Amino acid sequence: MNAPELPKAFERGEEELPNPLPRPEGEFEALKRAWKPPRGLRFLTAVNNTYVGVWYVGTAFLFFILAGILALIMRVQLARPENDLVGHGLYNQLFTMHGTVMMFLFAVPAVEAASVYLLPNMQAARDLPFPRLSAYAFWAYFVGGLVFFGTIFFGLSPDGGWFMYPPLTSTKYSPADNADWWLLGIGFIEISAIAGAIEIIVGVMKTRAVGMSLDKLPIYSWAMLVFAVMIVIGFPAIILGTLLLEMERAFDWPFFIAERGGDPLLWQHLFWFFGHPEVYIIFLPATGMVSMIVPTMAQTPLVGYRLIVLALIATGFLSFGLWVHHMFATGLPKMSLSFFSAASTAVAVPSGIQVFAWIATIASGRMRLTTPSLFVIGFLFIFTLGGLTGVMVAVAPFDWQAHDSYFVVAHLHYVLIGGMVFPLFAAFYYWVPAASKRALSERLGRWVFGLMFLGVNVTFLPMHITGLIGMPRRVYTYPVEMGWDALNLVSTIGAFMIAAGVAIFLYDLARNFRFTLEDNAGNVWNASTLEWLPNGTYNTRSIPSVVSRDPLWEQPNLSKDVEEGRYYLPGTVTGGREALVTSPFDARPQYILQVPGPGWQPVLAAVFTAAFFLLLTVKLVFPSVICGVLAVGCVIWWLWETDPGPVRPPADIGGGIVLPVYATGPMNHSWWAMIVLMVVAGMVFTCLIFSYLFLWLVNPGAWPPQGVRIPDWIWPSLSAFLYCASGALVAVASRQLRGDDRRSPRSVPVLIGVALPLVCGASAIDLWMQWETGLSPSAHAYGAAVYAITSLQIFFVLTTLVMGAYTIARWLAGRLDNVRRTTFDNTMLFWYYTAGQGLVALLVVHGFPRLTGGL
Amino acid sequence: MGGRRTGQILLMLAGLIAWAVQFTAIYGVTSTLCGRGWADANLLGLEVVPMTILSATLVTLAATAVALIWSFRNYRLAKHQPVAAVDDFVSHAAVLINGLSIVVILWHGIPAFILPACA
Ligand code: HEM
Ligand SMILES: [Cu+2]
Repeated sequence: MNAPELPKAFERGEEELPNPLPRPEGEFEALKRAWKPPRGLRFLTAVNNTYVGVWYVGTAFLFFILAGILALIMRVQLARPENDLVGHGLYNQLFTMHGTVMMFLFAVPAVEAASVYLLPNMQAARDLPFPRLSAYAFWAYFVGGLVFFGTIFFGLSPDGGWFMYPPLTSTKYSPADNADWWLLGIGFIEISAIAGAIEIIVGVMKTRAVGMSLDKLPIYSWAMLVFAVMIVIGFPAIILGTLLLEMERAFDWPFFIAERGGDPLLWQHLFWFFGHPEVYIIFLPATGMVSMIVPTMAQTPLVGYRLIVLALIATGFLSFGLWVHHMFATGLPKMSLSFFSAASTAVAVPSGIQVFAWIATIASGRMRLTTPSLFVIGFLFIFTLGGLTGVMVAVAPFDWQAHDSYFVVAHLHYVLIGGMVFPLFAAFYYWVPAASKRALSERLGRWVFGLMFLGVNVTFLPMHITGLIGMPRRVYTYPVEMGWDALNLVSTIGAFMIAAGVAIFLYDLARNFRFTLEDNAGNVWNASTLEWLPNGTYNTRSIPSVVSRDPLWEQPNLSKDVEEGRYYLPGTVTGGREALVTSPFDARPQYILQVPGPGWQPVLAAVFTAAFFLLLTVKLVFPSVICGVLAVGCVIWWLWETDPGPVRPPADIGGGIVLPVYATGPMNHSWWAMIVLMVVAGMVFTCLIFSYLFLWLVNPGAWPPQGVRIPDWIWPSLSAFLYCASGALVAVASRQLRGDDRRSPRSVPVLIGVALPLVCGASAIDLWMQWETGLSPSAHAYGAAVYAITSLQIFFVLTTLVMGAYTIARWLAGRLDNVRRTTFDNTMLFWYYTAGQGLVALLVVHGFPRLTGGL
Repeated sequence: MGGRRTGQILLMLAGLIAWAVQFTAIYGVTSTLCGRGWADANLLGLEVVPMTILSATLVTLAATAVALIWSFRNYRLAKHQPVAAVDDFVSHAAVLINGLSIVVILWHGIPAFILPACA
């Protein structure tokens, strides 16, 4: 950590601000020019977090409405007994699509989208560290999501329920493409979510206002940090699960087919390892929003900041201990289930802490009953009720009765609508003035709230009873004599009340929402955080230094000084877009990041990636592969412009702080992204190893099955040697790239060029040796598991191959030397990871069956 | 991040990491042994399942206790000499998180003494 210490003096008197007035001629114009979004059709290539954020939120909200319409159709169908508006098959598609779209295309993207807009502004960063990555995530989601939703019009929608349990979803029972749509569509959207999560983690850690140390970080940033880490840990499980199920469906590799040594329970483990945290993944950002809104409405600092941070972190961890509680009715040994009951109750504690902190804040100030406050209160009420029924469901014996009844439907909607939809609406009303010329109407807002609040209770409260008197979920109709009609009718009426509330909201938006940054409605709530500073496409004119958690309340002249450019980096020092990178712990300025501007690359890359997955779904393999190659090409084109190197000597950002415009190694933002990416990869791999061990567990005496030979140990040893050797060559190349005088030794491309065939050879040998023994991937789960591990490894090796070749190309183009070496560093990190994963894979595949001796 | 900072963050999360270890150990061993019908497995005359739970709980508990004491000392230290607000914050958070983890770890160990191993 060699960043300069912050002289404390600036935080006080007028004269000591980092930059003097008047600001030089043309400084502001240059800043504006650098951040200006493109015009015309090229507007689509804009990457500013504010634009992408608004598109992103808008798209997520569109999916809320679409999935809501599906819900209304279902409610109309259920309004009276023996109704024949929709048949059995369509109903199955309706609830599957409703659940899937709400969970994957609305809830997670909506909170991620909001943070694309809010995070940089709240931390007074100029933009997210990888603006093009968020544009990519958005476009991939936009295209993929719309096509996925479109399947409902062709009867192609998945119909296996939003958690897609095999064997119901295996080829035997779902031969048509419907399930593939789910698997590829959702698998793909998860990738976009992970891209967003990487962005958020690096954004929170590295791009903050000066002095915004961990103790002054807005709670929202904390919540988003935990959220993103949870995505990084949890989503790989579902990605792997969809991958395995898709391989089973496409190539007949029997991971989940019991007759051939597979086990459908494996899917449930993988799904819920993601699925339970998913509820908290949705919930945490919403609590983060509430923690921002409550202090403003009560006009007093948040009570219990520390406790809330503790609660967020603890929830993040503990929620991963809960996954099996969704599988109570599956006959797992009770002993192991009780751990999960324990975890379920343990997670109630941190949630409770947050609720108390908000109530204490409300009590210590004077709460203004604005529309955002109303939604917050509604959230507290509904979510608490949902939590109570959740504890009921978590107590195992009760679950056997309520399982798969409308009680569960009621519980789940109380939690999801209370925990996420209400806070989101609060957030809309609260933050619209930051992005629009006019605030939304308070008068209409009350109607929206009233209708939605009553509507939710009228819809879902009776469902608890409907469930207890025996109505199962997921039935498309019910006979007259069951006595369920009155309750169902009430529920349907409630659903239309919600719809009416949402319709008024849309009207309000149409009337009052006018997107603008420069002349937005401004700080109408007298809030205390930095997103309310005077704004523009460049975010804030200068980057403030903060001394408290409520800077706008405690540093009275802040807005004016920031706007006049008296704080840090009031212009652009390289002439392009820049962000200030700060240290993760105490937010000291470290270097000036040259941020990429608009470009077609992320848009095209996203479209081709989406096309790759979607064409694959309809089994147009050849066009799909072409799109895949084009997508990779676009990514390379996009990367080519990054890693600009030190284009100018270190620059003064004010207050005597002189910063380089380029940095490498652990200080670099993309180094961090690479580490996070490796965690993602490591999680996918860990889940795969877990699957391997799980399949071993359910196959006593058949691991490997009769007649299967394990390759001689000499081959894996050779393979391991090659992995190590290639890693060592890369390490040598890294040593060659040391030193301060700029030079680019010829040995670097040579070393990489030699290391590449070694790493490829290592995985080729392994694949070939397995094949040699006659092991079949489709005969038994053992073979399927072995080939799955080998295939994953080959995928990583191929990626390494592309990255290695790219690095060599950078060297040839004169874009790589010992100072400008970020590209090399990223390749190196990935290389080490691939080699390490390869070694572990060899150890498991060749060592484990020998160790257990076929047990 | 410099080494000192990484250390502070690790200390802050120590208890929760210990819980994750305890959880994985307990769940892995019980489901493996129960799943294969090796519930009565013995090691030197001790039943493996309860012994794993007991030892996993004790070891992780001990680790968390050390982390708690350590972070409490840091916290006390921070009270007596001027430190940056952020250090004070992190050491306080470390005390809270490690304290909570002790409860959580105990909570997860308890079922072992109430329920039969693989019922
Ligand atoms: C806004 C009003 C909403 C209404 C009227 C509504 C209504 C329904 C109905 C009728 C079902 C089908 C029940 C069945 O037949 O088993 C359902 C299922 C479901 N809903 Fe909603 N819903 C709403 C909002 C939401 C929201 C906001 C979310 C999530 C963020 C959500 C997530 C789900 C899920 C996950 C299922 C289960 C799907 C399945 O069984 O596979 N719903 N909802
Ligand atoms: Cu759950």
